[in-house]
Amino acid sequence: MAANAHAVEAHAGPAGPVAHHFNNMRQQQATVRFGMWLFLVTEVLFFGGAFCAYTCYRIWFPREFEAGSAALNVGIASVNTILLITSSLTCTMAVRSAYKANQAGIKFWLLTTIALAVTFLGLKAREYHLDYEEGLMPTAKLTVDLQKQADGSYLPQERSVFAMNVEKALKHNHFDTTGVNLGRVQLFFLFYYVITGLHVLHMVIGVGLLTWQLILAQMGFFKYPERHVYIEVMSLYWHFVDMVWMFALPLLYLAGPHTLHQAVEQFTSAVGMATGGSH
Amino acid sequence: MTTKVPYLHYTPQSIPTPELPPEQEKKRKHYLNHDYGVLSWLLTVDHKRIGLMYLVTASVFFLFGGLAVMLVRLNLIVPTGAILELDQYNKAFTAHGTIMIFLFLIPVIPGVLGNFLVPLMVGAKDMAFPKLNLLSYYVWIGGALFFVWQLTVGGLDTGWTLYPPYSSKYSHTNVLYAGLGIFITGFASILTAMNIIATVHKMRCPGMTWSRLPLFIWAMYATSLIQLLSTPVLAVTVVLLATEKLTGIGIFDPALDGDPILFQHMFWFYSHPAVYIMILPGMGVISEVITCFSRKNIFGYKAVAWSSVGIAVVGFLVWGHHMFLAGQGYYLGMLFSILTMLVAVPSAIKVFNWAGTMYKGSISFEAPMLYTIGFLVLFTIGGTTGLYLGVMGSDIHLHDTYFVIAHFHFTMVGGMLMAWMAGLHFWWPKMTGKMYSDFWSRLAAVVTIVGFIMTFMPQFVLGFNGMPRRYPNYAPEFQFLNILSSAGASIQGIGYVMPLFYLTASLFTGRKAGSNPWQATGLEWQTPSPPPMHNFDETPVVYFPPYEYALPNGLGMLADAGITPGSNPALEPAYAPAAGQHEVSHGS
Repeated sequence: MAANAHAVEAHAGPAGPVAHHFNNMRQQQATVRFGMWLFLVTEVLFFGGAFCAYTCYRIWFPREFEAGSAALNVGIASVNTILLITSSLTCTMAVRSAYKANQAGIKFWLLTTIALAVTFLGLKAREYHLDYEEGLMPTAKLTVDLQKQADGSYLPQERSVFAMNVEKALKHNHFDTTGVNLGRVQLFFLFYYVITGLHVLHMVIGVGLLTWQLILAQMGFFKYPERHVYIEVMSLYWHFVDMVWMFALPLLYLAGPHTLHQAVEQFTSAVGMATGGSH
Repeated sequence: MTTKVPYLHYTPQSIPTPELPPEQEKKRKHYLNHDYGVLSWLLTVDHKRIGLMYLVTASVFFLFGGLAVMLVRLNLIVPTGAILELDQYNKAFTAHGTIMIFLFLIPVIPGVLGNFLVPLMVGAKDMAFPKLNLLSYYVWIGGALFFVWQLTVGGLDTGWTLYPPYSSKYSHTNVLYAGLGIFITGFASILTAMNIIATVHKMRCPGMTWSRLPLFIWAMYATSLIQLLSTPVLAVTVVLLATEKLTGIGIFDPALDGDPILFQHMFWFYSHPAVYIMILPGMGVISEVITCFSRKNIFGYKAVAWSSVGIAVVGFLVWGHHMFLAGQGYYLGMLFSILTMLVAVPSAIKVFNWAGTMYKGSISFEAPMLYTIGFLVLFTIGGTTGLYLGVMGSDIHLHDTYFVIAHFHFTMVGGMLMAWMAGLHFWWPKMTGKMYSDFWSRLAAVVTIVGFIMTFMPQFVLGFNGMPRRYPNYAPEFQFLNILSSAGASIQGIGYVMPLFYLTASLFTGRKAGSNPWQATGLEWQTPSPPPMHNFDETPVVYFPPYEYALPNGLGMLADAGITPGSNPALEPAYAPAAGQHEVSHGS
């Protein structure tokens, strides 16, 4: 242990402590940056696999994917997009503050980013809840429904619960469901939940990282300007999460038609939710 | 004390590190004795200690996988199945395949030798991200233990390929949780790969240019690239499969117009490159061992180095050859078939270069070299039989037969496992500072190779004659060859257990290895064994390519250029001895 402590001391220069296995701060910074880029490469392939599978099905079943997309809440998605892009800006402002070793700036911008991210997550949770209430959860459950016969009478028939729910939601959004295999729309919703779920998971991890950096900032970790690199790589990750959303938004929410009425209604209600109004 | 430095060995990479006098050597602090106690191991960020932790755990998993296959081979002694129920048989061969692949073959060389050697070989004090390195170990062991636990409570019967709709709809075993275990170990594999790539890029010591990197580093670099790019695809595939399993609605379920072939595409996009994750590190080991025990410079350094990268790249384009009969398009199959022929080229380049290295070499047959020769022969057989499977016409006959089993065991066991044994025996003295029994280690190598050939040669015949894989029962005329195979498996088993004894014994009774028992070049041999806490007492400086075993012309070239020991102080590394004789101070 004594030898170890000695080694650390020997490398602690005026630029702040360099980890024991690096020769200088420049090497340490370059390595940290490089490591995060490598991790992001992995992430690209991770989401890439999901988007690739999505694309296959999108090509095979265009009508069903349009229908699924039309049943989604574009209002909340739009507000969330604005929140997320803004959070990328505030995250970059935190990096700028770190460059200048402006402690108050770092804390302020990190807090703003966290606030925007948490609002995003809250709205997303609300959206999931609305989807749940509309019954847009893939399920193998069946129920009995009255089907209109040719002679005008009604006969009870077994139908998929999901198909009935999605039909109702689409009728509300004025989407013409002729020629759509409603059961198959579940494929779209599986991708919707997997992709947005993974994105939410990454955002939660991101909020954790931001909070951690905030604690570090509070402890005075960033008084050495050289340590801006840690905020910088965290912002790289944050921008990546943002980028994933930029792909998820058109693929999931904008794949199908949305009426102006639906969009306006959902958007105002989402803004109300984001600004604390009751809904 | 003065040490005479022979002129013949005068290259900076082959100067033997002077040994300390015994009483000082005893007191020397190194990575094993600088700190004691369980916590100093469990919380270590030292890449060498993490490597040893991987060694112990991976060996245990190897034992588990071996036990599972002993059940399978025992069962196959009788055409109707000797000991296992049908579902038990499915679980046994699945346990064997999954444990061996995910918990042994993929992590073993990157985890043990990669961790231990990459910083040493590039002249760094540690990996680029030491804490991440420790984290990756814990993620791996956590996922692995969880996975093994799932195998013991309920098991997994899908085979290691987890094909839906069987795995998602019909199997009543722990597909979901086993998949989670695989997902977690995959995460560890990504972290290790990141660490190795960052170390190779950013942590090289002065003078260690890319063309001076040892070939093991090139192989580990290519392996890590594959791990980085393909493992996340497996992860997301497992996520999709888990979603299907959880909701009962099939992303890959044909009843809902899902496409099970898509799963196969995504699975093999990872799992075919994964076979190169398994074999490439082995090839790196072979490149190191063969040049040392042939006492010759590696033949075609650049060809061997770039063929590793070539395998990594082309390996990504051939996954469809696992699916010739799965219903993918005919022309797609032809394309994959041609690309498969292409990936054989870089592997063949390596084999030719290794043979070229041995040619007219001064070969000695220590245990690492015996394993290496085993590798050369067995891997070549495994590789060439792969061509039969890569050609669509013959694959129709051989698909899903024991021919396939024999083929990939020749590459994975005959190739990778022999390479692992060679590497373990080659660097064991460096890791522990002790030499193992020469006689027993050579005997173990021979027993393993003989047992291996006896196990898997008959399987080529069985498969060609039509015995399908994964079946618990078979036609009575196959019994003789199956018994032969099972007998060979038990001989092999003895060969794998022997090192456990003589390597352990070497820790207590082995003689001191010294810094460079094999007279090998390379930075890792320039530091004492076991290496000090931070690998090198001084940051090394590299002036020469990695393999300087023979310099018949090189010496002349140096002399022509007017370079003789001591003639040009600018070329002298800080620790290089002066001409002829030099003083070695052992102070501080």
